[in-house]
Amino acid sequence: MVKPNSSSSVQYCGSLSVARTDMVSQAKGSAYVELRKTKVVCSVFDPREIPHQNEFRQLGQLYCEVKFAPFSCPRKRRPYVPDVEEKALSVALRQALEPAVCRHFFPDYQIDVLIYILEHDGSCLAAAINAAGLALANAAVPMFDIITSCSVAVIGHQMFIDPPEIEEHIAKNSTEVNPGIITMSVLSQLKQISDFTQIGSMDVECVTKVMEVLLKECEIIVPNIQRVLVVDVVKNFELKKHLEAETKKREEILKKKMDEWRSLLNGQ
Amino acid sequence: MAGLLLSSTEKVFIVHGVQEDFRSDGRSNIDYRPMELETDVVSHASGSARLRLANTDILVGIKTEIDTPKPDKPDMGKIEFLVDGSANATPEFEGRGGENLASSISNTMQRAYHSSQAFDLKQLCIVEGKQCWKLYVDILILECGGNWFDAVSLATKAALFNTRIPLVKALLMDGGNVDLQLSDDPYDFKFLDVGSAPLLVTLCKIGEKCVVDPSAEEESCSVISLIVGITGNSKSYCADKGASNITDVDIKCSTISMNGPGSLAPKTLKNAIHQGM
Repeated sequence: MVKPNSSSSVQYCGSLSVARTDMVSQAKGSAYVELRKTKVVCSVFDPREIPHQNEFRQLGQLYCEVKFAPFSCPRKRRPYVPDVEEKALSVALRQALEPAVCRHFFPDYQIDVLIYILEHDGSCLAAAINAAGLALANAAVPMFDIITSCSVAVIGHQMFIDPPEIEEHIAKNSTEVNPGIITMSVLSQLKQISDFTQIGSMDVECVTKVMEVLLKECEIIVPNIQRVLVVDVVKNFELKKHLEAETKKREEILKKKMDEWRSLLNGQ
Repeated sequence: MAGLLLSSTEKVFIVHGVQEDFRSDGRSNIDYRPMELETDVVSHASGSARLRLANTDILVGIKTEIDTPKPDKPDMGKIEFLVDGSANATPEFEGRGGENLASSISNTMQRAYHSSQAFDLKQLCIVEGKQCWKLYVDILILECGGNWFDAVSLATKAALFNTRIPLVKALLMDGGNVDLQLSDDPYDFKFLDVGSAPLLVTLCKIGEKCVVDPSAEEESCSVISLIVGITGNSKSYCADKGASNITDVDIKCSTISMNGPGSLAPKTLKNAIHQGM
């Protein structure tokens, strides 16, 4: 039995329940995002030279890789080799992130964005884009805007925001009027849509209606992300102050020792 | 795509022309280039088509194979897309260079044909739960002249229209194993119903307006393009048959995706989708 999460009166709810930065200590920037039960970890690394590349490019590249954990999917175990779905998600993620990142700041370099999906309960692409946006900001990669993403499944006359995996499966295989799933990612301040993918069979009015819903929904996520980023920056400032205080203390101790030895040497 | 050097003056010329609804080869923003379509070009394939859209040349071959259906979809066949950019098209495609483009085209095609309203996989079923036809759609890009998605979808639809599925003559059920005998007669086959197979329309945003069917020069002036997959109205494809027993299907979007390192304002997206329809 399918329990609709939000019935025909569309409820705008921020389903982004957890968002944290600094998850992975080895990476330059990282983020962990939970969208209902979908759990996604993202790490971003420093710009590096593009391998197997001869010509000079004016803009930097983004290398995105999405990987599912073998235990993440409900129906079957994911093989180790990247399959079609993972490659498709990687391409879609890159498509969504490219307009957000200031690529002219690192010409002829590439930034690695690596996503690992720990649990797949629907809206993987939306969760991955949110996590990638946070991780890029945490890694101090220059960006034009905060990027947020959301998805909607349409079954019959009802819209379900951020559908869990069961609803996605039903939407993909439904034979009702307008089955389909739309994922959209938005640059909030600039009010630009950076990626829009639709699968299924829907007519134009339905698509335009869903687009309105998605725009509002993406806007709701923005304050949460901003809060996380502000907390992150404040923490970094305090850490910096703390480190500077420590450095001063150590320098004082060293200076005292130096004076001692100098006086000893001179006194000799 | 490769080796295409446009000076900034030429780009400005193209952009300004598009604003006036006038493109460099005399078309308006919504005109297609003349195309040549030929079917049944490859004799060994079950169906094939070759499309030439000005400089873009696409060859599609379809092979049929018997396969077991998926356990959660016992009465549906399978269809699989493979896109291969040959190094003939541009030197960038040599080796694994064309992989990104090829995978994005095949992903979009897979999504477009995913819905049962777009392409009914039930017509590929032989024995429910045990045997079905699997179609391998192999798309070969022979030459690049801009606008791959449209050309690929047109050629695929033509090739599917041309596909001959052999009829099953005899069937032996041997305790769970099914033994098929296909008809030997080369004229004994059935055609697929491709009336509602989706066609992709690429709308390329140049300046403020969107153009349909961009040429390679126009593509290099644009940052982003929108690809809309539209399923057709099957009624308009069967001329003489009793059209009353076929439901009137409205035109629907079967897939929408964006391509290119840019972004659209929501209003532009809506207008572009309407224009695509």
